[in-house]
Amino acid sequence: MKPRVIIGTIAIVIFTSLLMWNFGNSIGSYVGFEDAERYENRVHVIGKWVKDKPHGFDNQRMTFNFHMEDEFGQVRRVSYNKSKPNNFEDAESLVVIGTMRNGVLYSDDMLVKCPSKYNDASNLEMTSAN
Amino acid sequence: MIGIIGSYAVIAAFLASLGAFTLYFLAAQREDPKLEKIAHILFGLKGALIFLASGLLVYLLLTNQFQYFYVYNYTSSDLSIVYLWAAFYSGQEGSFMLWIICGYLVGMGLIKWTGNTYRAPVMFFMTMTQVFLLSMILGVTLFGVHIGASPFRLTAQEFAHLPVFLSNPAYVPVEGSGLNDLLRSPWIIIHPPIIFLGFAMMAIPFSFALASLWKRKYHEWIHPALPWTLGANLCLLVAIFLGSYWAYETLSFGGYWAWDPVENASLVPWILGMAGVHTMLIQKRSKIAHKASIVFAILAYVTIVYQTFLTRSGVLGDSSVHSFVDLGLYNQLLLFIIAVSVSGLFLYLRRMKELPTQNTETPLFSREFFMFSGAMTLLIISLIIIIGTSAPLIGRLFVANPTPPQPQFYNDWTLPFALAIGIFTVLTQYMWWNKYKDTESLAGALLTPTLSASFITVAIVIVANITTILYMVYIFVAIFSIIGNGIIMFRHIRKNPKMIGGSVTHIGFAVLLIGFLGAAFDTPMLDTNTVNYNAAVERGEVMDDDGFPVHQKLEVMKLDINQPRRINNEYKVTFTEADITHDNRPGEQRYRLEFEHLKSGKTFNVNPVIYPMIANSSAGNMSWTVDPEVKMGLFRDIYVYVSNASMVERENSRVENQTSFQAVADALMNGYEQSLNPEINDLVRLKPGATQNLGQYSITFDRFINMAEEDLPENAIVGVKANLEIKNAQTKHTEKVSPLYSIIYKDGSNSVHSPISELETFDFDIMFETIDTATDEAHFRLLGIEESIEDEWIIVAIEKKPLVSIVWLGTFLLMFGFSIAIVRRWEDQRKRAKQSRHYGDE
Repeated sequence: MKPRVIIGTIAIVIFTSLLMWNFGNSIGSYVGFEDAERYENRVHVIGKWVKDKPHGFDNQRMTFNFHMEDEFGQVRRVSYNKSKPNNFEDAESLVVIGTMRNGVLYSDDMLVKCPSKYNDASNLEMTSAN
Repeated sequence: MIGIIGSYAVIAAFLASLGAFTLYFLAAQREDPKLEKIAHILFGLKGALIFLASGLLVYLLLTNQFQYFYVYNYTSSDLSIVYLWAAFYSGQEGSFMLWIICGYLVGMGLIKWTGNTYRAPVMFFMTMTQVFLLSMILGVTLFGVHIGASPFRLTAQEFAHLPVFLSNPAYVPVEGSGLNDLLRSPWIIIHPPIIFLGFAMMAIPFSFALASLWKRKYHEWIHPALPWTLGANLCLLVAIFLGSYWAYETLSFGGYWAWDPVENASLVPWILGMAGVHTMLIQKRSKIAHKASIVFAILAYVTIVYQTFLTRSGVLGDSSVHSFVDLGLYNQLLLFIIAVSVSGLFLYLRRMKELPTQNTETPLFSREFFMFSGAMTLLIISLIIIIGTSAPLIGRLFVANPTPPQPQFYNDWTLPFALAIGIFTVLTQYMWWNKYKDTESLAGALLTPTLSASFITVAIVIVANITTILYMVYIFVAIFSIIGNGIIMFRHIRKNPKMIGGSVTHIGFAVLLIGFLGAAFDTPMLDTNTVNYNAAVERGEVMDDDGFPVHQKLEVMKLDINQPRRINNEYKVTFTEADITHDNRPGEQRYRLEFEHLKSGKTFNVNPVIYPMIANSSAGNMSWTVDPEVKMGLFRDIYVYVSNASMVERENSRVENQTSFQAVADALMNGYEQSLNPEINDLVRLKPGATQNLGQYSITFDRFINMAEEDLPENAIVGVKANLEIKNAQTKHTEKVSPLYSIIYKDGSNSVHSPISELETFDFDIMFETIDTATDEAHFRLLGIEESIEDEWIIVAIEKKPLVSIVWLGTFLLMFGFSIAIVRRWEDQRKRAKQSRHYGDE
């Protein structure tokens, strides 16, 4: 074996293990609110906006507050430190990223699973009702 | 009817491409020019058919034929013709069509310009990609298997379960569900076509590489493939730039790059195409690296298909901001990626033994070595990005429901390699254009760039007050790369300006590196109050209503109209104007913020926009979208958006009872005068039935009530009451009041008697002052309302983003360099083709 090949192989092995180790650390896991309460770390929670609970922008704390129901049926308040994101009302699901404290999910990042308009017949029902 | 023709056109196009696919195979196998000619005709026919189908779809879109699902789903009757056209590729089905059209166009170019040796096999592989793409929009069911989603399917089929269609299958929706408001931007006209042109062109090096393996001609293919690969790369680069700029400047994604899967989908093929271009250049010059050129050409296209699979199959689901509808194409997309990878792998393994290999080892310090290392580093970077993007799949090795990695992962792992590339570019460029006896003479030549880069780096470190060693190294490498490549460029300009493509591109890359560093210094600009609040949050002193400590710091602040605030001790900012302009959409609002630089006294204005997304809103819940305004500067951008405002809240309360799209749009259009906060005047003039707004209050004058004689006050000869309703739009409190206006005859003269009515709910009083008989208006005086009207306010985010302009500058240099290189390689290739025709040795 040529020394170049050996050195190269070792370098690749070390590099790959480091990369994958770091990769493993940098990804999180989608959880429900109950699991999120047990973690201290940042979590991703998928859920739906509960429309009939109070929501709105808090002008004092500059947070957008709303209630979300996760995939397991748990409802918690979410406090998002920006204004209401685009497409919020229309979203079929939300991914809220943040930390859970005292039953409130404090979020600084939110993905709005955009109008997957594919099966959305609400507008059609609205127009045909008129 | 049109839909049926369209569907059949798509099916016929699919069959034609299948025919061409088969004939190209036979033509390549038997080297039969007659078969090849028929295949060309079929390929052309396929093009005509797909143009016909696209034309019909565009016609349906332009004429608002909502009985077709694609038309219903992506348009509405209020869209202008430009967006109706853009709706053609706003959905998955249409974007596949656009991709096919691009593939057809570059295919025609290949037929025209490719020499006899490679033409048939190259077209075979090009047609293969077309067959797969066409299968995505077939929309036929064969033996119980549904293949593709037709763009011509009917709304009635799609919503067959809805009562409307159950009772009346012939029902045609009167209105479409509209184009996503975020897509209503001029950028949508240009961004998608360029990206699909890039995707289609990247199939060309792939096809050439496989053709070279098939026909055992491992060297000559790079000459025709080089300009095409460069062209594909230029297209992807322009598309990536347009997408980034769109995201940054109008979509408020917060920055120009977010490592989103869809962004990565065009970045990875670009990087691999880049690596391919470099190994092809090595191969061209030194007749080595045949294997690497072939592998990169294959990988660049395989990653395009792989990332298409990731973004369109629904695998990524929750991890992308881009909405992709899952059309159930998972299996077909999987088949596509298997087909392109397996055909590449199969041919490569078959020919591996006879592929040219090097007899001698490349010396460690040679241009080939450095250039090859650079290409390999590009490969490593793309592998890292692929791993990150594939988190939903391979992350399962670590956790159950993997999320995408933090952006930090991408930054940490790609930037060091990007720096290495910066150094490789200089070493390679020096050795490519000069002969050095030994490493010592090379080191001597590199002394100038090294010394001047060190000097400039020290100057920057001192001026910009940079303390992190990592950043110092980073800056040094980037500057070294700019100067090293710059020296080479100036030499070329004096001798042969056509040769500068490479060095300009490399300078562009190094300039980009500098620009990227700016993102590490993005800072929100906040006023003193907000800064103090954040400090208190950090100390744990701020409690919420339930007595728990608050952890979230503020990144936005509230500005009241005409009240200047100091932000970051750098600017004085004043919110001076709010206006409903209806510029691009009904209800669009524009704000004005005046900035004054504290030190220099220089001023500038920023006019961020916020608009209601009617198409995306449901009744009673208006969605608003911000359109940031960027004040560009050479060294820093000031990025401003208004996220909420008193005027937005008033508009919301005005339209909350409207239930239909049209009613909301009408209300937004017509409330213009009332919605602006007028100069506060406590006199309100109203005709019966009219409403006027004063700040957050709305005053509605219902009607006059003539008073019966017995109800009149003493001595009154005439009296009338006014039924008024006063509403606070924010608190929703209302109060009804009926102030009196009467004329009293006493001591031989008339006088007006209008007593002040005190309001119970609100802090002001009301008086019925007079009736203007000329205009039939009643005049009411709202005593003390000035104190209760709230000022106009906005919630605004202001961010300082350093060096964004430098990123754009680097991108433009890359584009310029690519263009020069394409011209040079193309001329080169034409000359070569002429010569070989001359000697008759094709």
